[in-house]
Amino acid sequence: MSDAKADLAVTVGKIRMRNPIATASGCSGYGEELAAFYDPGLLGAIVTKSITLEPRDGHPPPRLVETRAGMLNAIGLANVGLEAFLAEKLPALARYDVPVIVNVAGATRDEYVRVARALDAAEGVAGIELNVSCPNVKEGGIEFGVDPKTLGGLVEAVRHEVSRATLIVKLSPNVTDIAVVARAAVDAGADALSLINTLRGLAIDPWTGRPRLSNVTGGLSGPAIKPVALWMVRRVWQEVASKRGVAIMGLGGVQFVEDVIEFLRAGATAVAVGTANFVNPETGRTLAEGLGEALRRLGCARALDLVGRLEVT
Amino acid sequence: MAARRATQEADVSRARRLELPVVGRRPAGRDFVWLVLDAPPDWRSLPGQFVNVLCESDAHEARASEGRVLDEADGWPEATGLELGGRRAFGRRPYSIARVERSGRQVRLHLLVQVKGPGSRFLGSRPIGSAVDLVGPLGTHFTAPADDRLCVLVSGGCGLAPIFGLAEGLAEAGRRVVNLFGAATLEAMPLDFSEPPRPTGPSAGCCAGAPGLEETASAKEFAFRGATTFLATDDGSAGFRGPVTAALETYLDGPGRGEPAALYGCGPKAMLKRLAQIAAERGLACEISLERHMGCGIGVCLSCVARRRDPGDPRGWTYRLTCREGPVMDAHEILWDDA
Repeated sequence: MSDAKADLAVTVGKIRMRNPIATASGCSGYGEELAAFYDPGLLGAIVTKSITLEPRDGHPPPRLVETRAGMLNAIGLANVGLEAFLAEKLPALARYDVPVIVNVAGATRDEYVRVARALDAAEGVAGIELNVSCPNVKEGGIEFGVDPKTLGGLVEAVRHEVSRATLIVKLSPNVTDIAVVARAAVDAGADALSLINTLRGLAIDPWTGRPRLSNVTGGLSGPAIKPVALWMVRRVWQEVASKRGVAIMGLGGVQFVEDVIEFLRAGATAVAVGTANFVNPETGRTLAEGLGEALRRLGCARALDLVGRLEVT
Repeated sequence: MAARRATQEADVSRARRLELPVVGRRPAGRDFVWLVLDAPPDWRSLPGQFVNVLCESDAHEARASEGRVLDEADGWPEATGLELGGRRAFGRRPYSIARVERSGRQVRLHLLVQVKGPGSRFLGSRPIGSAVDLVGPLGTHFTAPADDRLCVLVSGGCGLAPIFGLAEGLAEAGRRVVNLFGAATLEAMPLDFSEPPRPTGPSAGCCAGAPGLEETASAKEFAFRGATTFLATDDGSAGFRGPVTAALETYLDGPGRGEPAALYGCGPKAMLKRLAQIAAERGLACEISLERHMGCGIGVCLSCVARRRDPGDPRGWTYRLTCREGPVMDAHEILWDDA
């Protein structure tokens, strides 16, 4: 192996990422917050908080609680709404040399379609990630994400409106077989898949008997869910993604360089960093900078060469 | 009508992630530790701002989190970020910067840690020489009144932390400062006394017209020039017997009667709510530091919201982030029933 630098570039749909490291929806703001700690241009992509047609307040506090090896949250899709996003947040993101993927949520098919249409027409949107898996609000799309037929219908309708941006569907782990919904999404025209969203969970104060979140249940993230995420990425890669040539963005507990390698081996082309941003806001840079060295030690010239390489003998 | 504080939004771009060595630690009271950290010479923060402190670490994880690939001999780290089944903390915890001590190029940050859960137990047990990973400075800060009115500071329990730095800062700036600090009992105070404070009792008042209120000069922490300190305890084991907000009213009706004053506070919700009421009843400006569980501390996770009055909103309120538009806010802006 020569001393040449490993090639970290990957492609998700039409999005060319300089490395496989993205930030996960809801965990990186709109770029400026991370910019205090490093240049977001070091990342492969930024995925924004979920955007809905109208602004949303979100749930009453408490919205977030730490659990063993992870975090349970029920923010409730608080966001500024499509109009303010296009007017204020998107232009601010354009300052950074990084592809922007906008996460979209809605209560109805029509809402998804209208938001996706506007984003596809907007400059500076490289990708649209459909959140069909928020476990915390009725309108968060979970009903779209658990039934393959409903999901297929939604993705088809959005696909019709999205021609320029890469269409990514973010899958819920709260299903019996994630490969079935993954297939439905790809059949309906998804360019790429991201998985997994949070696992539905509950935290209780044993002494007061009260749930620790105002929403009662929340979505579990962090290292606690990494093995589940790895297995689901593996399953979707084997059953759907590798056969159909569709890229997976893997997420769920990505914190260290080793996690990135594991997700690539499971079948992800890229990864997204979520909860770890809160533990260390510099995680994205740390991973982007450390991956090359890790690949070198593996004797791997390109990050892409690792995708799906699980050595089962 | 009390003067309203202009809405501040903290500038996150000034925050950095730093690993600061512990250069001093001093247990105080029953369950507090004062932690002193060595900060870089260019550290700039104002009273009321906070740092978000990583309360989880071990050597193995620390190395992995720095992104260094371990030596071959070490093998691949498991790097799951947490040990399974352990009651270890995982994320960061917001801590008010209690004091910034400058001497030449040397800068020391003082944090007040109340040991109550896995995160604070970890932080409170950091030995001298170990490093503390923090992000900061974050959040909004207290503002001094525009004129030379009396500054009355009210705090309870670990709410003393931001008030401590504020008292010192105001006193150094030549302001007149009255500092009222309350706790359940004497042992629950994170203070070091040169001589044990006496319970004053209703008849022992040395302040004219202020029964039960007696200046406490013996707490070493408050030995700086210019602040008058009164203690209050629920059980009367030190100073005024009763809630610190009752001590405040006693003060305002006694020695402070008729004086223009600005109130500042930090402490438990019930205390802050009462403080805000007292301020409203008397038409006094009041800034408080609000405690909230936080995920990120930098305005990303949107978990630390509080309902604040917003005349521009049809409901009259909006959720605002405590980490960016707080923790220091105008007490009159907060809808306390929800806070």
